Amino acid sequence: MAAVKLAELRVLANIVEDLDYYQLLEVAPGATAVDVRTAYHSVARRFHPDRLRQEGPDVVAAAERVAKRVSEAYAVLRDPRRRRVYDQQKGGGERRLQLVSGGAEADRQVSQEREGKTPNGRRYITLAHQDLARDNLKNARQNLQMALTFEPDNAWVKSTLTELKEKLR
Amino acid sequence: MSEVAIGIDLGTSNSAVSIVQDGQVEVLPNTFGERIMASAVGFREDGNILVGNEAKANVVHEPSSTVTSAKRLIGRYFFSEEVKKAQAICPYQIVEGPEHSVRVQVREEVFSLPEISAMILRELKSVAESHLGHEVSKAVITVPAYFNDNQRQATKDAGKIAGLDVLRILNEPTAAALAYGFGQGLTQKVAVWDLGGGTFDISVLEIGEDVFEVISTAGDTFLGGDDFDDRLIDLLADEFIQAHGQNLRQNPHTFERLKLAAENAKKDLSLEDTVRIEIADVAKDEEGNSLSISRDLTADDFSKLTNDLIQRTFKVCDEALQQAGVLARELDGVVLVGGPTRLPVIREAVKAYFQMEPKTDVDPDVVVAMGAAIHASELVAPQQQAFLLDVTPLSLQVGVAGGFCEPVIERNTPVPIEQSRTFTTVQDNQETVVIRVYQGEQKLVDENELLGQFEFSGFPRARRGDVEIQVTFAINSDGIVDVTASEPGTGEAASTRITLSSGLSEEELQSILSENRTDRVLTDMVARAEEAAIPAAEPLPELETAPPAVAAAVASAAASMAATAPAGEETLDLATDEDGGVPELEVDSDLSEGEMNALLEGSDEELTQPALQETTAPAAEAAPAPPAPAPTAKAAPAPPAPAPTAKAAPAPPAPAPTAKAAPAAPQAAAAAPEAAPADDLFDAVGTDLRDGDPADPDEDFELGS
Repeated sequence: MAAVKLAELRVLANIVEDLDYYQLLEVAPGATAVDVRTAYHSVARRFHPDRLRQEGPDVVAAAERVAKRVSEAYAVLRDPRRRRVYDQQKGGGERRLQLVSGGAEADRQVSQEREGKTPNGRRYITLAHQDLARDNLKNARQNLQMALTFEPDNAWVKSTLTELKEKLR
Repeated sequence: MSEVAIGIDLGTSNSAVSIVQDGQVEVLPNTFGERIMASAVGFREDGNILVGNEAKANVVHEPSSTVTSAKRLIGRYFFSEEVKKAQAICPYQIVEGPEHSVRVQVREEVFSLPEISAMILRELKSVAESHLGHEVSKAVITVPAYFNDNQRQATKDAGKIAGLDVLRILNEPTAAALAYGFGQGLTQKVAVWDLGGGTFDISVLEIGEDVFEVISTAGDTFLGGDDFDDRLIDLLADEFIQAHGQNLRQNPHTFERLKLAAENAKKDLSLEDTVRIEIADVAKDEEGNSLSISRDLTADDFSKLTNDLIQRTFKVCDEALQQAGVLARELDGVVLVGGPTRLPVIREAVKAYFQMEPKTDVDPDVVVAMGAAIHASELVAPQQQAFLLDVTPLSLQVGVAGGFCEPVIERNTPVPIEQSRTFTTVQDNQETVVIRVYQGEQKLVDENELLGQFEFSGFPRARRGDVEIQVTFAINSDGIVDVTASEPGTGEAASTRITLSSGLSEEELQSILSENRTDRVLTDMVARAEEAAIPAAEPLPELETAPPAVAAAVASAAASMAATAPAGEETLDLATDEDGGVPELEVDSDLSEGEMNALLEGSDEELTQPALQETTAPAAEAAPAPPAPAPTAKAAPAPPAPAPTAKAAPAPPAPAPTAKAAPAAPQAAAAAPEAAPADDLFDAVGTDLRDGDPADPDEDFELGS
């Protein structure tokens, strides 16, 4: 085992709490799902506790500490829902996301967006849902377009609109 | 010479042992040249124990003293459905042991399931030893991916009883994938469809050259090849009732013959379209004339009989694929594992579901043992050729007020992992909480598996909801689960290592090790030693003791076991930091290998999450204090700050010695009287076991399986 690698592990184990998920996996904020997976494999290749068993309990303990955070980072960044919540929250300086509520929080956001977050937005989104139920895609598109003027950052409206435009083309 | 570690596939019906030598994976044959050994244990009248195919062959003659399919019972609670089912069909006696555990009774002797499995492991160990010519102690043992922690722990105990140092409990489909991709430099996404004798597992993996990443896994521990046999047995028995009015199930000998015929017919169906089932002289009619069974069975008949079972596996597959975010057609391959997958009926169904031809270049009977050997060899001497990134197959949850569970680590989370969640007290001036740890996917505690519990106290008295208790779960690479509770305000902490409830208490394990009944197994080594003298067909002579080599090995294993106080029971540690410091991050260092434990029971207090309080705590409604549901914990996702308490803070050295030296019970006893009085809320949650025995607060509570 290269001494350099062990030294690196020791440093990493010390600062692991201060790293955000992107830093832990050594990927750029815009990294794709494939990038994230490749990075996870590559970090694991270097520091997975199973690969360092011969180096003694101290090294394994350090590797465990790093591996736990790397798994967490991977569990968030590979999951688009959690990643979105994490990115928002990271703006506020938070480096970690609780996996359980991260999923729940994302679900909550999605369901909120499906209903609308502003009174006017809600009105048009409700109409759009009714249109969709009747398979009236054109009206649904119009209503969602209206909703978007009130809630320009509503991701659900945006993605549904894109889908509708695709279908109506 | 480099260390050798063996890989063992301890199956429901069959087992195998494998090693990696000079980069080659080899499945080791026993003295008779058999690579696959029946997981059958036969207890002879003379006290000797026969294991493997010979025992299996004898089952027809001595059904009640031959234990088969023990894996279906290991690590289960006596009241579980599976045990009831087994009682109905197993010719040997299944009895209840302490703490709702399962025991089998054979010839007036009572054995725990880990002990039975240990006899099989002992035989496999001995096969490896006679092959290598020296002793072997390190091993990786596989279990179904969907085995819960109790079942895993029981399997680990079995290894211990057999004199093995179990390096890892490995998931069977993961092992199969390792064997499939080992040294191939593959970059593939594969599904492993694993139908064993008693369980079904599906895992989706991403193989990237040397990395084997499990993306998701799902399974059904109540579904296996045995169920297919049962369908056939039912058909034969029911037809016989119709024709002759006699129930063949009532005679154990006849039943075993039916079972054997069904099994053979099933096996033959993997080669032929139609098989003939003949069972001569199966019964006598009123006039004393001999009656027989004779009928043809086509693959089509069989398919109709078992179609719903196959469809059940695909439901589980849907789940695994959905969790992995993968569509069946996006897979590069499907690897089949387990004897039943030789059946064309099954292959066709799998092919139709995945829309691709399953891989046939692995031997479904031995691929798991091979994978175990590969992993074992990487663990003792990393060749850097194959390593695993696994997930936890089942969610870990904490019991909260009202009989509900709150997840802390969800299933299919990559491991190792550490996660925290914050809970609050549910009563005013509450002094103690009981942290109950469950495994499973259900919302109700009763529908999940209880892994263990421990008590936490030492936090300040306050109004309910005002005390935050952070519960941290850590799963390390060895699959060991550590649970810590801490109170961020004061830094009080308690922790436990959830490596518990194999159904064996520490005392029992010790007494099993000292009693050493596995010594009565006529192992391959013994067989080999006696081979020259005795023709194989003749009954083996009674052996007073095992040959010196074996006896010495076992004795030393037993001694080292006794010295290190095996894990295997759960440890309860209430490690409090008197200085008001912050709890230590690494629970690992709080607890050492050899810690014993006593499970605590009977505290009346419960944890709750703020949000749950309102809906699930009638006591809270009635109580005079104003409800103070702290919106903090639930609404705010994982308060970032709490994590540091458990993590970032430097570990005070003090807790470790406390934890080690102080047995849990005295501390608990001290804590219990101070606890707030029970109310009806806690009566509701105090009964965890399904039979509803109210917990006795004065009793140490040991988990049974």
